[in-house]
Amino acid sequence: MRNDLKPGGSFPDLALPDHAGNPRRLSELAGSDPLVLTFYRGWWCPKEQSFFRRLVEFQDEVEVAYTRLVSVSVDPPEVEAAFRAGLGARWTFLSDTERRYVNELDLLETTDTINRPYVPTAFTLYPDMTICSVWNGYWTWGRPSLEELRRDLRTITKAIRPDWEVPRE
Amino acid sequence: MSWHWFARTVERPDEAIAAAALSSGGYLAAFPSGGPAPRGERKVDARAIDPDGAPALASLVLPPDGVTILFDDPAVGGALRAALAAPWPDVLSTLVVESSRFAGALTAVRDGNRGRLGSDPFARLFPAELVEVGPGLLGSTPAPTGPVIQRYGGGNPWPWDTFD
Repeated sequence: MRNDLKPGGSFPDLALPDHAGNPRRLSELAGSDPLVLTFYRGWWCPKEQSFFRRLVEFQDEVEVAYTRLVSVSVDPPEVEAAFRAGLGARWTFLSDTERRYVNELDLLETTDTINRPYVPTAFTLYPDMTICSVWNGYWTWGRPSLEELRRDLRTITKAIRPDWEVPRE
Repeated sequence: MSWHWFARTVERPDEAIAAAALSSGGYLAAFPSGGPAPRGERKVDARAIDPDGAPALASLVLPPDGVTILFDDPAVGGALRAALAAPWPDVLSTLVVESSRFAGALTAVRDGNRGRLGSDPFARLFPAELVEVGPGLLGSTPAPTGPVIQRYGGGNPWPWDTFD
């Protein structure tokens, strides 16, 4: 992984098509909210299927918490759309079939010479794309638990919402 | 600017910031948020309105004036989830009355594909009418990042997605 992709560093503003083929920028997708960004191997990986089922469970909390999710793989948009639909996911998937950012981010899973996918990696980001935390998910237990994500999202939300403390009359 | 007033009218209103004829008769029109509310007092996401917008095919869910349900009703939440899960149209805005009432939805596509509007999730809440909307009204609402279904600020229509 690139050396500057660590807490406090700034995440690059990726420009990729989404699962419907629309051009998107990561900064626009983050908007003014906390963002959970996950890079995954592909739909075919059982470890990803397990992790994404947990994220789908998590989205029922995220949907009312002004927080966004984005997932990135080297799968084509139509494959991502099918994976997204099969999971019941309601967030944006970005497609990097040309592996445009795999090398730039130094996130190539070198041990998979057939698929040449992203190393499973998760980030929590502030709205200005500052990195809060990073998880290397090459081994399954390296991935974030939902509790770890909750803890980060509380930290980010507390930092960015001026009314975290209920305003006094 | 997060929203405009929105109404269906019999005649093209002079005070509208954008208006277009409907294939079924009458007009859809948007009015400035700082001005008087039109009949029905509905608000629409400002991005869904463009005075230079191209024609579109729309699914219009527009209950009679005064007929609303709470925006926080689970039925509305279910429709919002279904909208996020499905392929996103070119235009989508819920219609809001006051700060907390759901009063319809506007969904439109520009490729003329009626199939894309055939499963409008908001048609589960009130009847939907499929209409052709002329030029000069509809803008474009990009797909939300997801999965947020909450509105950003009381009174704003979904999918408007910032507190700014």
